[in-house]
Amino acid sequence: MKENNKGDPFFIFISRICIGALIYGLLNVISNRLLLPTAPFITLRPQVSLPMFVGIAYGPLSGFLTGLTGNLFGDIVCGYGPIKFWHWHIANGLMGLIPGLVRYLNIQKVESIRDFGIVEVAVVIASGVAVGLAVIADLLLVHEMNLSESLNAWILPAFLTDAVNGFIIVPVLLLVFRKLVVTVETRTIMMVTLLLVLAVLSTAMSITWSVWDDLTSRESMVRAFYFAGIVSLFVLVLGLLVSIILSKRVTDPVLKLTEAAGSVEKGEYDLRELDGLSKRPDEFGYLSRVIQKMADEIRGREQRLKKQVQELRIEIDKVSQAKEVAQIVETDYFKSLRDKVKKFRKQ
Amino acid sequence: MSNIISIHSFRGGTGKSNTTANIAAISAAEGLRIGVVDTDIQSPGIHILFGLDADKIDYALNDFLWGRCDIYKAAYDVGLSFGKNPAGKIFLIPSSIKAGDIARVLQYGYDVNLLREGFKKLISDLKLDILMVDTHPGLNEETLLSIAISDILVVILRPDQQDYQGTGVTLEVSRHLEVPQMYLVVNKVPSCLHPDDLKKKVSETYNCEVAGVIPHSDTMMVLASEGIFVLRYPDHPVTLAYNEITKKLIT
Repeated sequence: MKENNKGDPFFIFISRICIGALIYGLLNVISNRLLLPTAPFITLRPQVSLPMFVGIAYGPLSGFLTGLTGNLFGDIVCGYGPIKFWHWHIANGLMGLIPGLVRYLNIQKVESIRDFGIVEVAVVIASGVAVGLAVIADLLLVHEMNLSESLNAWILPAFLTDAVNGFIIVPVLLLVFRKLVVTVETRTIMMVTLLLVLAVLSTAMSITWSVWDDLTSRESMVRAFYFAGIVSLFVLVLGLLVSIILSKRVTDPVLKLTEAAGSVEKGEYDLRELDGLSKRPDEFGYLSRVIQKMADEIRGREQRLKKQVQELRIEIDKVSQAKEVAQIVETDYFKSLRDKVKKFRKQ
Repeated sequence: MSNIISIHSFRGGTGKSNTTANIAAISAAEGLRIGVVDTDIQSPGIHILFGLDADKIDYALNDFLWGRCDIYKAAYDVGLSFGKNPAGKIFLIPSSIKAGDIARVLQYGYDVNLLREGFKKLISDLKLDILMVDTHPGLNEETLLSIAISDILVVILRPDQQDYQGTGVTLEVSRHLEVPQMYLVVNKVPSCLHPDDLKKKVSETYNCEVAGVIPHSDTMMVLASEGIFVLRYPDHPVTLAYNEITKKLIT
């Protein structure tokens, strides 16, 4: 009975969540050492991308349970106990659930620029919603801090670091676990996103670092840090949206040309769908015009061939055929053979 | 008596040996016991398709024709196994590839009754369901013998002006020999020709049923003589064409 469990979807589901939660919890424990300045409860947590990834790759429920049980486990190990930060367990669950909702936008695997953009935006939204709901719960039910304390201690640091971490690491995890299919589109948008992330982070970090020593008070330090974080996230999201539009200008023609080549392979030579592309003055326009011209020529040739086939003539010269037959059947050898054959056919 | 099927063509290079080998393989996979005789004494070759090493041929068809051995001694189980139907077997009766043997048969010939008795004995000794005869192209005396003793004659042609005239002659001559069933197979058909149109045209021209149209295939060319196509590529269009032909011949 046990060995059947290997293929049992429920078993796979549970083990996936257990493994995800275990890793997530342990990473939480480790990263508790890396406290952010001024935010004693929130840590710089790259591992937040784990429940996000599980949600996208294996569905919202898997993502939710991974985030929830992982955080619970981490808190228990750290000695906070299972109850104290219950609302953060749920927030971590949402961190996995919300990106998992991309399934309902028909994304099983990230295959296009559209998928990539939706996933990235979902990651940022998930961070915002999860942290926001946790803080509201905190204000209404737990009453540990007031709103302005929360804003400084939790909302901005948790939201910003989770969003930026997720934005950068989730695509990497998707790629490693083959939930991101490498196509011309995904390759292009990944390349642009990588450059974007490098540019934004290096700028934000170097500016923050350069003014660090001049900051006289703790408040101004915090403000500089958060300001850099907000600008980074804003530029990343806006930059991604602009990149999507620009990248599509490059990749769309490639997809169109590929589709056209597929039609030609299937024997469909009417490439009217390339008309728009052919008007472009760049290399893609040229390529498109060439393919259309070639397809037209093939179509013409094929039609001519078909016509020839319809007129296929099997020409046999009956007179010379009769002569050749006579040369064989009138020999003595053939006559004797025929007699013998006649005899045994009768048997 | 079970069926003797001769595979013939007027010109060389039409794909006789390949057609013979593939039809034999399909039939054997159906659980039939098939004998394959290479009567192309001048240029034997089908043993290569079946992977039969020339060094291992102790007795060949030639030896039987000269009374040196019983015909079943020249029959080699080519060792193809057909998982689904363990009953299916192919026995190959090769022609000798020794130059002296070849010259001798060409010089002295052999008698139709001897060949026929040999085939009958082979069929009963090896309990064959079907005996297939791979012939030498053209219409020389030995080929006429093979045609004469067959129950079914398959003439292969390519859609090529060079093949049309000779195929007509072959069919006419075979009618004089009263072969009970005759079929045409069009081989190496380029993809621009529509198989159904071609079939209709050919059968009308020769007043003879077309058992199948085999498309031209680069894959087939690449495989060359290194094996049995239908076993390597069970879903290839060429295989489907062979299946259709086999169905027609063996029912």
